[in-house]
Amino acid sequence: MSNKKNIDRLFQEKFKDFELAPNHAVWSRISESLPNKKKKRRVVALWWQIGGVAAVLALLLTVGNSVFNSDENNNQNLPVVNTEKNDSENKQGKNTLNTIKGSKQEVLKNVNEDKLESVASDSNKEESILKDKESNTPQKNTNSNPLTSAKKSKVNAVANNSNDKENVSTSQKFNNLKTITNKDNNTKVADNTKNPSTDSKQFKETKLTTKSELKSEIKKTIEDNKTATVDNSTSKNTESKVFKTESKEVISTDVNDLDSVLTQDLTKESIQDAIAENTEAIDEKEDKQNRWSIAPNVAPVYYSSLGVGSSLDQQFNNNPKSSSVNMSYGITGAYAISKKLKIRAGINRVNLNQTTSDVFAFTGPETASRGSVEQPSGNIKFNTGVQNVLLMSSTMLDVSTAPEVFNTKIAGDVDQRFAFIEVPLELEYRLLDKKLGINVIGGFSTFFLNQNEIYADIEGTSTLIGEANNINSTSYSANFGLGLDYSLSKQWNINLEPQFKYQLNTFNNTSGNFRPFFIGVYTGLSFKF
Amino acid sequence: MSLDRLIENCIKQDAQAQSQLYKQYASKLFSLCLKYSKNYAEAEDNLHDAFITVFSKIEQYKNKGSFEGWLKRIAINTSLQRYREDVGVYDIINEGNIEDVSVDLSDNDLSIDFLLQIIQELPDRYRLVFNLYVLDGYSHVEVSELINISTGTSKSNLARARMILKQKIEDYKANSNSQDI
Repeated sequence: MSNKKNIDRLFQEKFKDFELAPNHAVWSRISESLPNKKKKRRVVALWWQIGGVAAVLALLLTVGNSVFNSDENNNQNLPVVNTEKNDSENKQGKNTLNTIKGSKQEVLKNVNEDKLESVASDSNKEESILKDKESNTPQKNTNSNPLTSAKKSKVNAVANNSNDKENVSTSQKFNNLKTITNKDNNTKVADNTKNPSTDSKQFKETKLTTKSELKSEIKKTIEDNKTATVDNSTSKNTESKVFKTESKEVISTDVNDLDSVLTQDLTKESIQDAIAENTEAIDEKEDKQNRWSIAPNVAPVYYSSLGVGSSLDQQFNNNPKSSSVNMSYGITGAYAISKKLKIRAGINRVNLNQTTSDVFAFTGPETASRGSVEQPSGNIKFNTGVQNVLLMSSTMLDVSTAPEVFNTKIAGDVDQRFAFIEVPLELEYRLLDKKLGINVIGGFSTFFLNQNEIYADIEGTSTLIGEANNINSTSYSANFGLGLDYSLSKQWNINLEPQFKYQLNTFNNTSGNFRPFFIGVYTGLSFKF
Repeated sequence: MSLDRLIENCIKQDAQAQSQLYKQYASKLFSLCLKYSKNYAEAEDNLHDAFITVFSKIEQYKNKGSFEGWLKRIAINTSLQRYREDVGVYDIINEGNIEDVSVDLSDNDLSIDFLLQIIQELPDRYRLVFNLYVLDGYSHVEVSELINISTGTSKSNLARARMILKQKIEDYKANSNSQDI
């Protein structure tokens, strides 16, 4: 028995003070599975968002730049192609065009493979890019057999023709598009060109292969590229139409040249198709997040001043002033930073007017008879030809001592009309997040003056007499508003936003206590995507 | 920070408190897990699971008994959980006569690493019974309830465990002696 206890005791003694620190990794695993890690994750998410915005901006600049360049090149390219013509070949070209037009939607993989191989045999850099381009143009393959051989040579011709600026520029564009998105994607797309897959499949595959973290960024990327290519392809398309009519009317083309034109033409069309499919794919994806929204809006606006004064002239300070209800319309885009907070920007056109009543206007001989005793029309720059207008406020006249001429005159109005392009930048904070939502809105707008007129309304007729010379071409406003919205569906909302905009720096030289503002009730329909 | 305060903050899922609690008890519980596990990796897994249980159930600790005891019970239970499904595998072995288990401990130079190693090498249930009974002071009745065996099985498993351990120690000594010579 004593021996048996020995073995127990041996272990008991040895293990009494046995402690061993576990690996650090254990704690990191534990802390990850604990539910209190929200803060850290949120920070990461925010960085992703900021990073995403930065990436999109960078993309816009690059893609935009290349798009503009390619447009210029296209224009230069246009006459070159038309100079070399050949009667018999042109007919073939015309046929090709028609076949392509008629059966754009079909896909023939074998031909596609043939073509790609012929392209691949050349090690030229531009050609490999062209291959990418081709991957998006399976429609081309619908041609009859004799034409395919022509097509092969066409592809080569295009690739070899390094002087073809349009080709270079489009491939540049594609290159941008792809390298920016993801290098892995790029190679994958190239691989996929041999598959019989359609455009949409390739695009979707591209998306699937993307790592999940990059998804949102890439989505934006594609979106941007999409808009960029839309611009590009539409501009090209009009050109290609010119091609078609010209090629029908006019004489002939060298085979290679015509074919190269056709390739480009097809590429353009295929780009449009790809875009169409791409848009669908994007729509599917965006459903999940709905961070972006866009809202066209229209608002009745009413212009007034907080204090008593006039922007026109000191003498009108105490004249009654009124404003009719004008319209503002525009479009606003918003991005939801968080559930509660949105940042939004837009562009609106705003018309404003102010009518100053009880003003006498004298023209021509009447001014002369009074002599230019006064120069009362401070901030009005008269149009040439109406130099002799003299405006006087009736409040300045003592009726008893007034010259006779005033008794026969009827006081009229001076109507000042001006309009701005408004660029608001605002934050929207959500107070109530139900079917009926309530938001508070604050921000500022930049105004660019685009209309500035002063009319004299005398005895029922309105005459343009000039413009105000004290309205700044750029001005600002501080905006406050309350937004109500009612959700019609997941994506559609009706908005109603009364807003107060206090104008800053609108006028240079005002008299009295003139502090202009305007209020508008912005209504619109917003679409989340 | 006092223990009560620490527990309170852990209930509130305060990350700092949780980290501190872990630092304070990880070594003790890890040694416990090592004894009950086949190997180091399994011990780490058990420690992980044990702490997850601790943090999710800490509000159920009602200041009855020592907090450390509560933690240890969770660690042991977590370790046992793994083997509860295997009940019955060793029931075939029913030791009729318990042999005398003695070992010559004249030179007490056995390292803790070696002892831990031979414990881990024991068949699963022998290891559990040996640990529970010898090292953590559970009675045969408690052991039988914990791992769902009869007290007889518990006793015979214990005897078998002792035999194996003794054998391994003797082999080890013989080995080292022969090397010495």
